[in-house]
Formats: sequence, structure tokens, C-alpha cells
Amino acid sequence: MLQVRDGAGEMLGVLFDRYQTPLFNFYAKLTGDRALSEDLVQEVFLRILKYRQSYRRGTPFRAWVYQIARNARIDHFRKFPRERAFEPEMLPPVTPRDSAEEQQEVELLQRALQQLPEEKREILLLCRFQELKYEEIAGLLGCELNTVRTRIHRALGDLRKAFHRLAQGAMQTKTKAAAAENVPPGGGHHGM
Amino acid sequence: MECEQIAQLLPDYLQGDLGPDQQHNVEAHLKRCADCSEEVALWKKLSLLPVEQPSPGSRARFEAMLQAYQAGRSTAPKTNSRWGERFSSWNSLRWLRSPLGRVAWSTALLAVGFISGLYLANSRSSSRDLAALESELASMKQMVVLSMLQQQSAGARLEGVTWSTRDQELDPKVLSALLHTLRHDPSVDVRLAALDALSRHAGQPQVRTSVANALQDQQSPLVQVALIDQLVEWHDREAAPHLERLRQSPNLNPAVRQRADWAISKLN
Repeated sequence: MLQVRDGAGEMLGVLFDRYQTPLFNFYAKLTGDRALSEDLVQEVFLRILKYRQSYRRGTPFRAWVYQIARNARIDHFRKFPRERAFEPEMLPPVTPRDSAEEQQEVELLQRALQQLPEEKREILLLCRFQELKYEEIAGLLGCELNTVRTRIHRALGDLRKAFHRLAQGAMQTKTKAAAAENVPPGGGHHGM
Repeated sequence: MECEQIAQLLPDYLQGDLGPDQQHNVEAHLKRCADCSEEVALWKKLSLLPVEQPSPGSRARFEAMLQAYQAGRSTAPKTNSRWGERFSSWNSLRWLRSPLGRVAWSTALLAVGFISGLYLANSRSSSRDLAALESELASMKQMVVLSMLQQQSAGARLEGVTWSTRDQELDPKVLSALLHTLRHDPSVDVRLAALDALSRHAGQPQVRTSVANALQDQQSPLVQVALIDQLVEWHDREAAPHLERLRQSPNLNPAVRQRADWAISKLN
């Protein structure tokens, strides 16, 4: 009996090891809240356990997992409407091996990503980080394949604009005060 | 205006899904257009964003959740609804996020799991429960194998094949996934592993026919030879025509042809 129980745990454990980091990154980059992201990852695995019968054989497993992940997040925010849109508490320290310039670029890019509206951020995360195919994203979001393409392109366009604004802001602060480290939010006044 | 036409192609370009002509068009445009080429550069830079690591405690929390879930399931039906309630309000238990709450919660769940484990091990629980758990286990295993066989990396698919060998009897869906892997997986190693996994199930006639059929699809001499050897090992006379057809196919590796000759003489 115990063997059976351990066996089932081992199975889900394999899935957990494989998916917890991608899922955690999906949530963390989307919400900026580490604690919440960990809770949501746990919730996803609970749901996998509960609803595994609903997985249709032969369909992409990854897409099924992200379907669950999206629903878990939507359900969560239905219960707990957000006070703040994004809490950048989790901005990670950038790895020191990078050159200073690259480091700054990555930081700016991260902030630019955070400034995007959530649905745009989400679609970029799904296709860039979660290795989902456009067809799978279309199924996930319940829209046409061409809509996915358009949305990705728009999100990328917005990312470029946000990145520009931030880069300009960073340049200005740099010239004003060389020691300034923080990039101003810059979301309010559009330079472009 | 040109950007608008390119916009339709750009997402596919980013995934490397365009044909050579279209790819060329996009690249020519990128050289002229600063905005579009910047978007492509940003897309590439997104991969530089650091990967966040979940906290080390998350695995333990997962184990606790699993144990609690299984404990809840195995003491069913009496306590089932209570556990159901608790899990449906999982999100509302926000106080549990405090460090003390987490420890308390995890300890409590571990204790529940442990005690019910002991209880179940000692008392002969009804065979119905056992059967339910076993079928749960089987469906979980199946899910793991099927999901692994779809993974991008050959290593993961290989692991999936290995998982499939843990069962004496092969589920039909896993079987067809394995056969598909044998025929179409891009990695030679994974195809060989799939053949190995399938070789344990020679009792199922479908396996033998499918392995014989797979002979025609293979381009890799390594896999061809492995298939031939397998067919000889099974003494499958029905495989002879397949071998004959293979032997006559043009551009066949001479070593494979030799092996096929040897196999035909063995089988006849």
C-alpha cells in the first residue's frame, strides 16, 4: 500500500521537477510576487492531480499544464482582486558575470516588460519563455492563430517603446547624476 | 507601410518558421527598418532575462500537499468532502503564508500523511480503495510517459521511454506512443531505446507487426540493424517479406544489406 502511494508521488514528482521552475518563472515574471507565484505553482500541481482525467491523450501536455496555470491565476485574482498591478519586489540581482552595459540592458528590459499591460506581458512570456507554439497559445487564449501573431507583434512593439522610454530616462539620470542607480518609472509621461 | 506587411511575417520569423523566400524578405526589410530590427533584437534579448529559482522549501511543500491529498483520498469516502473543502479554500488560507503558518501546516500535513500511511499499511483496507489507488497510479504513470515522449529534448524523451519499461503490461496508448517514437523520433538514441522498450512486449502481435513495418521508414543504419536483429530474435517468419523489401531498396547501406541477407537465411 505504501509502495503504491510512494509510486504515485514519484510520478507527480517527476512532473514537478520538470515544470516547477518554468511555471514559477511564468508567474513571477507575470505578477512580480514570489510568494504568490509559489502558491500558484502548488495550486497547479494540486489541480493536475485532481483533474488529470481531463487530460486528453495525444494533445500537447505542456499546453494543458499552462491552461491549468492560467485558470489557477484567474481564479486567484477573482478571489483576491489586486490592490497593485505589479509588485517589483522580486527584481532579481543581475548576475555579476555580465558586463555593466549588458547588465543595464537586461535590467531595462525587465522593467520594460513589467510596464506592459498584463495580457501583452503574458503572451510574450508564453511564446518566448514557455516554448509554446503559436497554435497552442491560440488554443489557450481561445483566439485565432492570426490574432496570436498580431498580438505578439503589438506586444513587441509596446516593449520596444517602453524600453526606449526607460533607456532615455536612464541616459538623462546618468548625465544629471552619475551616481544615480534607480531608473525612474517613466510610465506617466510618454516621450514618444 | 512596408512594416505592416512584415508585421504579419515577423512572429513566424522569430520562431524560424518562414520559408527561405519570406525569410529573405524579412531580413531585407530589417536592414532598412530600425524599428523592426530593434524589435527583433529585443526579442532575442528576452532570453537574457535571468531564470528565477523557486525557494528550496517548495519541494517539501509539494510533498506535503501530495501526502495530504493521498491521505484524503485513501480515507475516503467519510472524510472526502472535508478534504475537498479544505483544498477548494487553499487560496483563502493566506495566513499560512507566514513562515510559522507554513511550518505548522506542513508538519500537520506530514503527520496526517504518515499516520494514515501507517494505518493503511497495518489495517487491511478494503480492496476497493487499493484498486482505486492502483488505477490512479497507472493513469499517472501513463501521463508521465506520454508527456515525456513529447518533450523537446532527446534526453527527456529518452527518460520517457525508460519510464514506460517500468510496467509489465503496456497500456495501449503508451504502446502507440512508443511505436510512434520508434518510427518518427528524430534522435537515433531515442528510437533505439523505444525499440528496446518494445522488445519486452513481443507477446503482443501488434508490436511485432509494427516493428517489422518500421523497417521501411528507417534511414539510420544503426536502427535498421537493431530492428533486423530484433526480428531475428523473435523468429518472426512474417518479417521475411519486410526484410526482402528492405534488401531491395536502393541506396541501402551495404552492411545493412548484408545483415538483412543473414536475417532472411535465418528466418527461412
